[in-house]
Amino acid sequence: MIKALGYFIEIIRGGLITTRHFVVNLFYHILKVLGIKTKRKGSVTIQYPEQKKEIASRHRSLHRLMTRPDGKPRCVACMLCVTVCPSECIYVEAAEDPDPEIQKYPAKFIIDLGRCCFCGFCVEACPEDAIRMDTGNVEFAQYSQQDLIYDLDKLIG
Amino acid sequence: MQERANEMIKIFIDEKPVDAEEGTTVLKAAERAGIHIPHLCYHPAFPPEGSCRMCLVEIEGFPKLELSCSTVVKEEMKISTKSERVVEARKAVLEFLLAEHPLDCPICDKAGDCKLQDYYYEYGLFESQFKETKEKREKKLKIGKSLILDQERCILCTRCVRFLKEVTKTQDLGVFHRGVHSSVNIYEGTSVENNYSGNLAEICPVGAITDEDFRFQTRSWFLKEGESICPLCSRGCNILIEYHPGFSRFELPNRVYRIKARENPEVNGFWICDRGRYGYSYLDEGRADKIILNKIEGENVLTWENISEYLGEKINSMSSAKKTSGIALILHTWLSNEELFLLHKIFKKDLKVEKIFFADLPEGEADGFLLTSEPSPNRRGAQEIGFDIKAVDLSTLADGTDFLLAFGPFLSGLFSPKYLKGALSKIKRKVLFSSYSHELNSLFDVVIPVALIAEKEGSLTNVEGIVQGFQPALEPPGESLPEWKVLCDLGKELGMDSKFYSEFPSPETILSEMGEKIPFFKKKND
Amino acid sequence: MTETLTEMLVIFIKIVCALVWLLALTLYLTWLERKESALIQDRLGANRASIFGIRIIGLFQPFADAIKMIFKEDFVPPFSRKFLHTMAPFISFFFVAITIAAIPFGDTLRIGNRTINLQILDFNVGLLFILAMLSLGIYGIIISGWASNNKYTLIGGLRGAAQVISYEVALGLSLIGLIMVYPSLRLSSIVLYQGELLFGFLPKWGIFLQPLGFGIFLFAALAETKRVPFDLPEGESEIIGFFTEYSGLKWGLFMMTDFMEVIIVSTLLTTLFFGGWQVPWLASDGFHFPWGGELLLPHVVVILLQVAAFNIKVFFFCWLQILIRWTYPRFRYDQVMDLGWKLLVPLSLVNIIGTGIIMTI
Ligand code: SF4
Ligand code: SF4
Ligand code: SF4
Ligand code: SF4
Ligand code: FES
Repeated sequence: MIKALGYFIEIIRGGLITTRHFVVNLFYHILKVLGIKTKRKGSVTIQYPEQKKEIASRHRSLHRLMTRPDGKPRCVACMLCVTVCPSECIYVEAAEDPDPEIQKYPAKFIIDLGRCCFCGFCVEACPEDAIRMDTGNVEFAQYSQQDLIYDLDKLIG
Repeated sequence: MQERANEMIKIFIDEKPVDAEEGTTVLKAAERAGIHIPHLCYHPAFPPEGSCRMCLVEIEGFPKLELSCSTVVKEEMKISTKSERVVEARKAVLEFLLAEHPLDCPICDKAGDCKLQDYYYEYGLFESQFKETKEKREKKLKIGKSLILDQERCILCTRCVRFLKEVTKTQDLGVFHRGVHSSVNIYEGTSVENNYSGNLAEICPVGAITDEDFRFQTRSWFLKEGESICPLCSRGCNILIEYHPGFSRFELPNRVYRIKARENPEVNGFWICDRGRYGYSYLDEGRADKIILNKIEGENVLTWENISEYLGEKINSMSSAKKTSGIALILHTWLSNEELFLLHKIFKKDLKVEKIFFADLPEGEADGFLLTSEPSPNRRGAQEIGFDIKAVDLSTLADGTDFLLAFGPFLSGLFSPKYLKGALSKIKRKVLFSSYSHELNSLFDVVIPVALIAEKEGSLTNVEGIVQGFQPALEPPGESLPEWKVLCDLGKELGMDSKFYSEFPSPETILSEMGEKIPFFKKKND
Repeated sequence: MTETLTEMLVIFIKIVCALVWLLALTLYLTWLERKESALIQDRLGANRASIFGIRIIGLFQPFADAIKMIFKEDFVPPFSRKFLHTMAPFISFFFVAITIAAIPFGDTLRIGNRTINLQILDFNVGLLFILAMLSLGIYGIIISGWASNNKYTLIGGLRGAAQVISYEVALGLSLIGLIMVYPSLRLSSIVLYQGELLFGFLPKWGIFLQPLGFGIFLFAALAETKRVPFDLPEGESEIIGFFTEYSGLKWGLFMMTDFMEVIIVSTLLTTLFFGGWQVPWLASDGFHFPWGGELLLPHVVVILLQVAAFNIKVFFFCWLQILIRWTYPRFRYDQVMDLGWKLLVPLSLVNIIGTGIIMTI
């Protein structure tokens, strides 16, 4: 019986908590409508397309390929990223560079972002620091899967 | 190459008693006992050189560490391969080897197969203590028809030099300069042009010699190995076919990326010739993967089952005299022993077919070592089975023939299309079993795609009469079937001796049958 | 003749007004639900629907929803029983909507010498009528569960039936005490009784006379609406519920029924326990305060005050129900049954006996 009463009290308390939130938030909203500036806000919502959340520095966003000072890709087509990628969404085709100090460069470098799970393993695996996920771009949704297949030009650009 | 029948002595490796042949080296004895001693310059094909110092072991009673590759075993020798001293020594050796090594594994084709890399990982020297800059050397030196030498990666094991000295005897490479400046190079004005040059890339323990054919194509860890036999000449060298199983999302241009030698002391030792090594495009190029029906009256058949039924019906409806004179067969020597045996049994023995021809590639030149002049891997087998190897004679072939069964893709290469068309147009029914699509395939009523040697099971008889079995290394493409399967089905349709065409035929059972019928195959098949 | 015609016209107008009131409130209850839940959870809630760029805190959202539902594909699964599948939402909707007929919105309005009841139909068994209609509504749910021919919908339908039947008992019993106090089943009379005063200052509202009855009725009525925490027939996280196979407007009808039930329950709570349209101390000619003051008002103002009081009370209960829905988690099925049969039913019996004893004293 006492236990049941305890439940009952807690139920009421729960109701009071939600009521408090309702009333307090409503109060701050009204203040805002009346043009009174307060430190606290009525909601924590970020109004997305107009207002954007700041991206953390370690956030993994759209990939990019780094370049050498002369604009050639830094990537040496070692295919370690291809090997490590759990989604098997990277494809690299190597070719011979005339410069014997470079030797190998990617003739094709394709990431199928439609499959990528943004684990960042490719970045970890790369011995040349040639691929990074620091563009801060998280808005690259497309209407067709085909448009999510990024090639060398798009990744460097 | 065998050193059998030597007396066995007892030695102790890592406190484990091990039997070793007298006169063998510590490294070989350990290898035999399943204990791996790291080594780089030692190669079983050559006498020990002792230049890399990786193989150091501790032997009781010897004050210093000894080279296991060149120390001969003695009775009661106590060897330790894992003691602290040994491990420290190996680390030191590795550190020195790496002192001048560029460590460009990301762009090195050897990565994944590289012994230096493997040992480096095993002994975990992850911090370099050298502050000095490394010696600059030639990084991309073309030393032969398809070989590229990177002197920086070379660890001066001289395997390549020894290969050219002892196997090909051409001696194009040598070690030049002294001390830290020493490097491998070609003698001026020469170049590694022999037919065995590809082996250099394989025996180089690091990525110093790379193969232009394989260079940058893919990474070795993606590849899978399948054992097979090279069908490009009658030597029957044992090979490893390295193929890419494919990525789930992206299509690859081809399956097979390289061919490597597979050790077989009786046939090819450790080597294969360049023809076999680089001539693998036949595995992927122009393959037929669908049954093609050009003309079969009144029928709408597309599976092999239907077609075999149809063929069986047509042959059974001929009179036996007609079968003898009206059926013609074109065979080739890429067929396995088992397949040739079935063909012999069905057509020569039972149907008494007279017109049996062989269409093979024209003879080439032998090179005096492995490569023979016959580009037909099973000519000897065909002879032993009892075929009389006759070249195709188109006028005899077409004369009075109602039914032609042609095997192999080589016919179109032997005659001009016009001539061939004229001859074939006289024959009423024509069936082709070929692995390749070719425009002249349209001359036949039906074209059945068949598997290649790398894709089926069977055995071949090489030029020396050695019968070698093989298992499929690759999947046959599309609807391709192995010929033995085709022939078993056909035999069943013709209502023949059920022993051969049992419910689940296999080349193995066929070969054991052959052993009973033909003594030649018996003794090889013990 | 003209008398009957005007009578009919008046009734017609009353029906239209009541329905418009009900539907508009339903529509805006969806808005209220969104906003209230948002405020409870420190969010903003739907605020994007706009007309010519004017958003006014998402007030157009219900219209956007309606448009969306109208244009959505009305999918009837090929394996369903088509006729029943189509009928089910209409049955649900109808039986809930019709209950509004018996609810008194205010006192009698006098225009000239004509008196108009602010109630569509003044039944003498109004209370029973409403209870009956509410329990008939469950047929819509059972039929939809059955006709969709899908095991989850069927489970949903069965749960709904079991739950509604169980709580019907408590609901009915909790009102017995009330009927003993206000000896009438006519809702208008019940409201009128509540206009009297207890001890000279306390309005004779149901809540004061029947506090226990009120509690039981509140719980039972919440269970009747089939919303969280009693949303077992729906159970979004487990079985999705009886309307799994519905889409577009038919699904919308179920949703509206849901909200309408909330409104009906609120009107009932208001009418039975909070004095309906009564404003404390307001008689038909103005306020008579218990401490002796008086404020006389014209008839129209009195009626307006009464209607406003009714609306405010209804609105408050809607708010309360939404608050409850966004505060508590769903009961487990056995807990629901336990609560109904082992707590509410015995308590309502106790309530009846207690009321009887007090009344005889
Ligand atoms: S982030 Fe992960 S899944 Fe995406 S490409 Fe890189 S390794 Fe592959
Ligand atoms: S791991 Fe880096 S260098 Fe290697 S292929 Fe990928 S991006 Fe290029
Ligand atoms: S030879 Fe071996 S260690 Fe050297 S770069 Fe190539 S893979 Fe790396
Ligand atoms: S090129 Fe290769 S095989 Fe030749 S010496 Fe150097 S490491 Fe040895
Ligand atoms: S293997 Fe013995 S010294 Fe190289």
